[in-house]
Parts: sequence; C-alpha cells; structure tokens
Amino acid sequence: MKRTAFLILLSITAISQVKAQGHGPLYGLQTPTLAKGGFDFNAAAMSLATEDDQSFMLRYIWSYGVTEDLQINITTPTMINRLSEAPRTRGNNNMPANGDIEASIWYRFFSNAFGVGKRFESTAILSVSTPTEETRSGINVSNSIHGAISTGYASRTWYAWVGGGYQYYFEEGNDQLGDLPYASLVVGYRPNIFMGDYPKPDWRIFVESLAEFPGANTSEGQLTPIDQRGKKVMLGPSFLGLYGAWGISFGALFPVYQDVTQGPKEEYRLSMNISYWL
Amino acid sequence: MLTIFSLSGAMAQLIKVDQEVFGMDCAPCAYGLERGLKKMDGLESVTVSLNDGKAYLKLGSDNELTLQKIQEVVKSNGFSARNAEVTLKGEMLKEGNEWTIKVNEETFIVSDDTPSDILTKLNPGKIRIKGWVKDEEDGQLSGKWDIMIIEVLKS
Repeated sequence: MKRTAFLILLSITAISQVKAQGHGPLYGLQTPTLAKGGFDFNAAAMSLATEDDQSFMLRYIWSYGVTEDLQINITTPTMINRLSEAPRTRGNNNMPANGDIEASIWYRFFSNAFGVGKRFESTAILSVSTPTEETRSGINVSNSIHGAISTGYASRTWYAWVGGGYQYYFEEGNDQLGDLPYASLVVGYRPNIFMGDYPKPDWRIFVESLAEFPGANTSEGQLTPIDQRGKKVMLGPSFLGLYGAWGISFGALFPVYQDVTQGPKEEYRLSMNISYWL
Repeated sequence: MLTIFSLSGAMAQLIKVDQEVFGMDCAPCAYGLERGLKKMDGLESVTVSLNDGKAYLKLGSDNELTLQKIQEVVKSNGFSARNAEVTLKGEMLKEGNEWTIKVNEETFIVSDDTPSDILTKLNPGKIRIKGWVKDEEDGQLSGKWDIMIIEVLKS
C-alpha cells in the first residue's frame, strides 16, 4: 500500500518555477544557479533501503535567488515510511533524505565563465535543520548545523563537481547523534546526440560517488559501546533530461564499501525528480 | 533647435544585438535567459542559442533599450555577457579626435581598429552601422562602449 502510494506520488511530484536554474546531480554536492529574483519549487521522491527495511519519502524545496550568486532555500519532508533503524547519512546532500526540515543559504563565491557554455564555479552552503521526529534509531534527535563547499566545472559536454561537508547534531536529553563528515565526486557527460541546440531535448548522464564517515552516537551521556567512526562509499548513476519547460532526473546509489558499527547497512538509495517550469 | 535634438534622439536606436553569453551550458539556462530578456520592453524577437553561446535580439522600432540593460539581464541570470555584434543608427559626432554615436543613454566610441577604409570615410551626420563591441570582462557597466565598425549600412 505504501509502495503504491509512493509510486503514485512519484508520478505527480515536482513542480518547479524556474528562472535560469542550473541542474545537476541528485546525490552529490553541486553548484546550482538561480537567477536574481528567481523562484524555484521542486519536489522529489526518495527511498533508502537497508537489509530489513525501506523508507519512502517526498521532499519539497523552495528556493529564491537573492542575487545571481546567493540563494536561500527551505526544504520540508513528507515521510511515507520511516526506517525504524536508520543509517547515519544525509542521503542527498542538497535535499536530505532524513526527516529534517532544513533552511539553507547557498552562496556562489567564485564564478568564471571563460568560454561558450563553460564555467568554473564554487559554492558554499550553510544550513540549519530541525527534526520532524523525536528519536532516530532510538537516539533523541535535535537540531543540526551543516556546512559544505563544492567546486565544479560545467560545459556543453563534460561536467564535474567535487565537494565536502560536515553536519553536527546538537545534544537532546543527554543523547546526541554522531556527526557526519562527507565528500562527493560527480562526473557528468552529455552525449553528442543531445548536443542539439535549445529547445531540443537535453539529456545527461552522471556517475555519482559519495563517501560518508558517520561518528558514534551518544546515548544517555555515553558514547555507544563501539566508539568508532563508520566509513561508507556509495556509487551510482543518475540521469537528467530536460525539454522545454519539463525536466526529469532519476538515479540510484549502491554501496561499494561499508564499515558501519552503528545502524544498519544500506542496500541502495533511489531518487526521482520531475520538474515543470511555470 | 529643440526639434532637431528631439528628432535626433528618436532616430538613435539599437536595431539588432547578437550578444555573446559565456557559461550557459544547459536548456534551463537558455530558457531562463530567454524569459528574462523577453521581459524587456522594446524587443521584437529574441532567440537564445546554447551552441553559439549567443542571445540574438531584434529590437522594435521605438525601443529605448541599451546594451547595458541587455548585459545586466545576462548577468542577473548568472552568466557572463561578453562581446556583442551591434547594429544601430544614430548621429555620428566628432568629439576631439574621436568619432562617437550617442544612442539612448549610451555612447559608442569608434575604436582605432576600425578598418581605415571605413574610418577615413566617416562624416558627421545620420548613420546606420554594424559594429563589434568588445567586452572581455564583467566589470562595472558604464554605458560607454568601444565599437569597431564592421560595415556602414544604408540609412
């Protein structure tokens, strides 16, 4: 029943009103662009599977371009099925796959458009979040702060982004979720067949990789028995298609290495986003 | 005198601008820029090409648009406005050693790299030209442009 609801909602999600929005990877850090005065509304459907369970959620993000280099965002979730025991992860770095409401500032502090269709740019992200659940995997969950930096290259053929971030959860009732440093690397390619000029269909394929190092949780003031930072490397493809006022992106991540001492191991992550520019 | 000045003002216009845009890599970029440019008053048509890296603008007969306004829209969409091929009409004036054409609130200064066979034939008066405006950086837009005349068109 929950999977059916998820699939129905998946097919009607994501309405986006955009004024020059840069689109890129689903999971890795990127360097998005939103025009000054631009407004963007996006909704995505996400799923995270562990060995025994699977979460389903919808997530919405509202963005406003204060300037062409500075945008403010707020993202909220609709949880369809929460994991009873959740792995420590952000899920998607721009839109977390946990149950947090998150407000963020994305500041493009460096941009060098040096050729036709080519640019280097760097973006800094600062966000604060508040949870929509009281506990996560039995640990009281509080607000968090998150910061990240990403640098990228965009062109008509090749794309690449590299970035890293850190999320810190505050203490709540003598419990504290472990911190989460992470890094991402994404490479994208637009095949020749999709090099037709606007407004012809525009498709890209990305190979996304994500490394996460979740810290140990604290329960009742004590670090959980195994005081060891987990290590996780995920890899997978995503696809982005754009045509006129429509856009669709979908992808998956799979673990290639997992050494986690707290929480379950992941089997895969799925994400899908449909956009329409009003 | 006043009538002559007002007629000169009305006859000074941008006619066509092929604006080079750097950094525009994808369909939503072009879509957003096209929408942003179309909001300007005085345009007859606008087409954005990703592969050319250009916005092609045809301006209406009574437009008051400036190259600065066009470049500001490009910049506010997150891209870099560079060189532009401009077709304009106006009054050619000699100011000291420089030939200038004033269009709306902007001044186009004929640059020294204009071919000599064009430079030597310039005279004060009404003129319609096609020229190349070099703009290598996204610095402060002052409304003063150096223009290399490519062709003098029939008025």
